[in-house]
Amino acid sequence: MTQDEIIRELLDFIAADDAAESAFDRLALEIFAYQFKHNEPLRKFCLQRGRTPRTAKSWRDIPAVPINAFKELTLSCCAREDAERVFMTSGTTMGGLRGKSHHPNLAVYDASMTTHFKQRFMPDRDRIDMGILFPDEDVMPNSSLAHYLALALEHFGTDDSRNEMGKSGIDFDALFGWLERAETTGVPYALLGASYSFVPLLDEMKRRDVRFALPAGSRMFDTGGFKGQSRDISADDFYTQLSDSFGVPRRWCINMYGMTELSTQFYDNGNEVCPSVKSGPHWIRSRVINPLTGEDVPRGDVGVLTHCDLAHFNIVSTILTEDAGVEVDGGFLLLGRADGEEAKGCSMAVEEFLKAANVAATG
Amino acid sequence: MDFRDKVVLITGASRGIGAAIAKAFAAEGASVAVNYLRNVDAADDVVSECRKTGGDASAFQADVTGANDVDVLIDSVLETFGKIDILVNNAFSPYAFDPENRKMFCDLDWADYQSQIDGALRSTHGMCKAVLPAMRGQAQGTIINMATDLVARPSVPYHDYTTAKAALIGFSRNLAAELGPIGIRVNCVAPGIVYPTDGTRDTKEDVKDMIISQTPLKRLARPEDVAGPVLFLASPWSGFMTGQVLYVDGGLVMT
Amino acid sequence: MIERAGYLPGVAANDIAWQTLRFGGNENPIEIAVPELSDHQMQSMAATVRTASRKLKARPTQQIVESIDRTVARLLDRSEPIRQKAEDLLPRVTGYDAEMVRLGLTGYLKTFRKPELQKFLAEDFANPMMLDDFQPMPKGGLARAFGPDILAHIWAGNVPGLPIWSLVSGLLVKAGNIGKVPSAEPLFAGWFAQLLAKTEPEIADCLAVVWWQGGDTAREAALLREADVVLAYGGNDALAAIRGRVPITTRYLPYGHKVSFGMVSKSALNSRKVTATAHQAAYDVVRYDQQGCYSPHVFFVQRGGKISPKEFCQYVAHELAAFEKKYPRRSLSVSEAGAIAAWRHQEEIKSFGEGGRQILSDATGAWSVVYSEDSEDLAPSGLNRTIKIVAVDELADVAPRIAPYRKFLQTVGISAPPDELYALGALLGQEGITRISALGHMTAPEAGWHHDGRFNLLDLITITEIEGSAEKAADAFARYAD
Repeated sequence: MTQDEIIRELLDFIAADDAAESAFDRLALEIFAYQFKHNEPLRKFCLQRGRTPRTAKSWRDIPAVPINAFKELTLSCCAREDAERVFMTSGTTMGGLRGKSHHPNLAVYDASMTTHFKQRFMPDRDRIDMGILFPDEDVMPNSSLAHYLALALEHFGTDDSRNEMGKSGIDFDALFGWLERAETTGVPYALLGASYSFVPLLDEMKRRDVRFALPAGSRMFDTGGFKGQSRDISADDFYTQLSDSFGVPRRWCINMYGMTELSTQFYDNGNEVCPSVKSGPHWIRSRVINPLTGEDVPRGDVGVLTHCDLAHFNIVSTILTEDAGVEVDGGFLLLGRADGEEAKGCSMAVEEFLKAANVAATG
Repeated sequence: MDFRDKVVLITGASRGIGAAIAKAFAAEGASVAVNYLRNVDAADDVVSECRKTGGDASAFQADVTGANDVDVLIDSVLETFGKIDILVNNAFSPYAFDPENRKMFCDLDWADYQSQIDGALRSTHGMCKAVLPAMRGQAQGTIINMATDLVARPSVPYHDYTTAKAALIGFSRNLAAELGPIGIRVNCVAPGIVYPTDGTRDTKEDVKDMIISQTPLKRLARPEDVAGPVLFLASPWSGFMTGQVLYVDGGLVMT
Repeated sequence: MIERAGYLPGVAANDIAWQTLRFGGNENPIEIAVPELSDHQMQSMAATVRTASRKLKARPTQQIVESIDRTVARLLDRSEPIRQKAEDLLPRVTGYDAEMVRLGLTGYLKTFRKPELQKFLAEDFANPMMLDDFQPMPKGGLARAFGPDILAHIWAGNVPGLPIWSLVSGLLVKAGNIGKVPSAEPLFAGWFAQLLAKTEPEIADCLAVVWWQGGDTAREAALLREADVVLAYGGNDALAAIRGRVPITTRYLPYGHKVSFGMVSKSALNSRKVTATAHQAAYDVVRYDQQGCYSPHVFFVQRGGKISPKEFCQYVAHELAAFEKKYPRRSLSVSEAGAIAAWRHQEEIKSFGEGGRQILSDATGAWSVVYSEDSEDLAPSGLNRTIKIVAVDELADVAPRIAPYRKFLQTVGISAPPDELYALGALLGQEGITRISALGHMTAPEAGWHHDGRFNLLDLITITEIEGSAEKAADAFARYAD
């Protein structure tokens, strides 16, 4: 298949109502064969594991590429120069290496985002007054989240929608103005942003002793969690604060689970209970696996999440994340990072070694 | 026995015992590389049979007595299937099993012996050597060589054929001794007369009857009878067996 | 009957608050009761131990050696009830294979028989009689070694029996001992104390074994308050935290996590010797699943032998597969498995770039061998039977690769001819390696081993010297003075 054929098939697939596993399998294996052919590091990775498209019988047989690979390698089927857009991770990890995803054009990414966003965040209306708590796409051209939120604004925001985060941070006065207006007019309002973007907002509201009672139909959106940020809040506390501060029931505080290494996102149906059940659309499928054997863990056991995202066709569609999870009815629960821990014995573990070696080097 | 996700390469698999082995592996989910020398139609038939029974297969032409062909064969199989878990050395130089008109010892030249040695042993040597890097890369693998019960009991002295197979058994055992410590097992299957195959299609009834009368299980082997023991030796069920010769002849030979 | 850990002289059993630790997962669960002492209880127990240690100090060292020997003899006896309990419970608590535990216990306990105890003494003291009475010193005058009244041990890890090393050291210098067991293996120290008390009732109270939850700084403080010398095992963070809480006047002996490795000369890689070499290397990897400070993370293997380093990997891989049948690895937690997976994935990703790197692993993830041709630095493996084999032209090439990690180095297992052994000894010693053993022996240090290059007994004692000047001066006051 050519790139254009794949894009066409994907767009059709996304637009369809649903898909049986066999249809998903067929397209997943076609895309795998395409990637195997054009993506040299992926081919090497698969051959190292004795897997070719020929011997993959379902999407579950496609080797899952560890998410770290995106930092070390260029995993692109199209030439780098031909990419319309490159999304990069935020580079907070060791060595500052940033994971890259090259997109030859954004048609599939955009279709994936808008189709599913509509289903999960806007099931009841076409447009809503929106406030965005994240820098603009122009300011962060390599941020997938910036692009995501720009799409949300463009396709689902009314004319009275704004990006409220400028170079100097959140424009509190402007934002509070919009929130008050929503209260007075009774027109629903949606506030979307990175989870950690809400922290200074909630702090400022506390400082000013300000709360809002947004009208019914209003909703909140957060994504990304608090890892590596200045403050650590539990999910439960966060949604309580959000709900209390804005008068939006926790059922309408929606969390999105996504990453630069995918072109599709997962949502929950609100956060009345934490952790909430996350699920995705019919063009992405997930497994919970034992990271050592690559096999699915028994249903209900904790393992590491692996996603097969058909929309991520130019890179690799099957990713092994670093997130622990467990399969439940209707989706999965995210349970935090599946990192290594300190050794049980007196043998040094990698994390301790790196930390100490870093100290030694800089000390 | 589950051979899903396993890749099997069988030499001389377009007909007879080789074809039966190929189909048996495919029925258990294996991906089978069907090597053939000339008979492309027969090979393609085997391939479709394999796919029908739930496995996967492709045909690969190669003359396994030639070193270059062997390397190309291995490379093609690796490119298609990604790995080789099991190698079955089944090919041998054509032989007419004719008790009445066989070449007796004084009729035979060394060239006759050499031809059989080239067919059975040299091809096996070349295939083993070529496949080893791939198997070493997995720290495991299984090689099964087709011998014959005539080595233990020459009911009919087919000198050249059986001598070559005797050497093949010695070759297999030495290979087993050396490769055991790196996790690669080498075993032989020794059938008696297998009927019907190209070599035995014309065997006379009284010859068959004589053998049957001395066989505890009172019949001759069919190609499918040989497949089971091959699959056994390729499976983890025989994981602690190497250097062995399994006699599959209804009990004609017990050793 | 729930097994109780610990040994608490001077504290009434009924007064003790017991916590329950659970092991064995869902398949073979087991509960162990561990004691949590109040401040007052710790105080009165310390007083008991202190008093008892004075009695110990009045005993000749040889007698103490014999007491320990008698106790160890009972522990080596497989029909001894406590030994049988150990063989039954330790595998269930630690997860280590029962055979490995049984053989490991016997091998380890042999290190504390009488001749071995004398090696401990001879290793540190030119004249072990110093522990009993004042002895002449080379510089003149007399000296006597005094062990602490209370030696506090804070043990860590799950290697069965580890506490015995420092407990025996403490007894040899006639210290009173209070040791805190790790939650991962809380049993053996208490059993040892119990058996010693039974065998030698006279010195029963000079050993105490306690427990507290990791992070319980209040209980830790209660022990630290009583201690003259503190000995601790653990990771650097934990050790630094304890150091912060140890009074400046108390001696502190930390033993941190280490990275050990092996070296294989091409002489050990011919067609005959390779299988033995691979077996020894694999044995060092599987023993206690690489949890010991002496366990190898990497083997540096020399090119140029009949068997190449890459081929050597395959031999080691098969040995690990065979060991998985003989001594199956214990089951891992999600994060332990994650650690291995993360390490292996890193290696896989590196293998895309250059040729040469190869990863061999078991389908169930029970072991992994990574082969590398890069001139890479020393780094820890993913542990739990994951090993990297690095090809080098000369074993001496390894020295610069380990130099930056001096602080974490401990043991090197070597397979090489004598002249190489001694040359490498000099090079490695320079870079901070403190122990060189044979391949296959990395995880079984000899009696008297200088743990991390330190002194088992000398580090615990203080020397009181009667100077020559005092002796001479006293002479003047003798009734028989001329």
